[in-house]
Amino acid sequence: MLRKASIAAAALSCAAMVLPAAASADSTDEYPIPSRMMKTTCTVDQYMAATRDTDPVYYERYMIDYKNRPADVQTGARNRIYWFFSLDYAGRRQYSENTATNVYYEQMATRWGNWAKLFFNNKGVVAHATDVCMNYPPNDPGVWNW
Amino acid sequence: MKRLMAGIVAAAAALVLAAPANADVDTDFTNELHLYGIYGQKDYNAWIAKITCKRLNRGVDTTAAQSAKFVHDQLVKDTTTEQAWQFLGAGLRLYCPDKLPLLQAGQ
Repeated sequence: MLRKASIAAAALSCAAMVLPAAASADSTDEYPIPSRMMKTTCTVDQYMAATRDTDPVYYERYMIDYKNRPADVQTGARNRIYWFFSLDYAGRRQYSENTATNVYYEQMATRWGNWAKLFFNNKGVVAHATDVCMNYPPNDPGVWNW
Repeated sequence: MKRLMAGIVAAAAALVLAAPANADVDTDFTNELHLYGIYGQKDYNAWIAKITCKRLNRGVDTTAAQSAKFVHDQLVKDTTTEQAWQFLGAGLRLYCPDKLPLLQAGQ
């Protein structure tokens, strides 16, 4: 009896070891996209104007990188991030899941690996900017011209 | 002839004296910041000064007060208002002297 139980326990622990490994590729509420980015109601322009003030060096580096891309990549990145911001929370959370579980999901990344660095990659940057982004004008295309 | 020599000597002296100061603007800037008790990473501080100039050039900031606020927001929390203005003064003088009149206007 005892032996049976211990075998069952051993089997369970084996299963426990195998299953989390499979789950580790999933997204979380904070990764790869921070939750504040999924919850914010700011527009792209508001968010970018905020980062220009709150994390100016990070914004500067992103914009230098952006300007060094071919025109079609720049347009693609802009369209893609406007599309992302058009999604609701559930849509953004699903997108986060899709990019976490399939490296080929985001086609934009094949043209420009860091295309969304200002928006997704740094939790601190996202936190600072989403705190104040609602205070900026919703439409300000000038944020892409730096 | 004497006058020419004096001119050459003066020019040579200027070259010699100026050389240490112009070797690297970022270093000069860092050294000056140290006088004000502002530390932090050299490259970061230089970025902030350059971006301060860029913001003035682009019209994102239009007054010295706005620039001083921008600078203050980027420095460590216990930075004083006075230090922010010292940073701004040194930054404008070294990276965009054409903007110095803004400081004199006191706006």
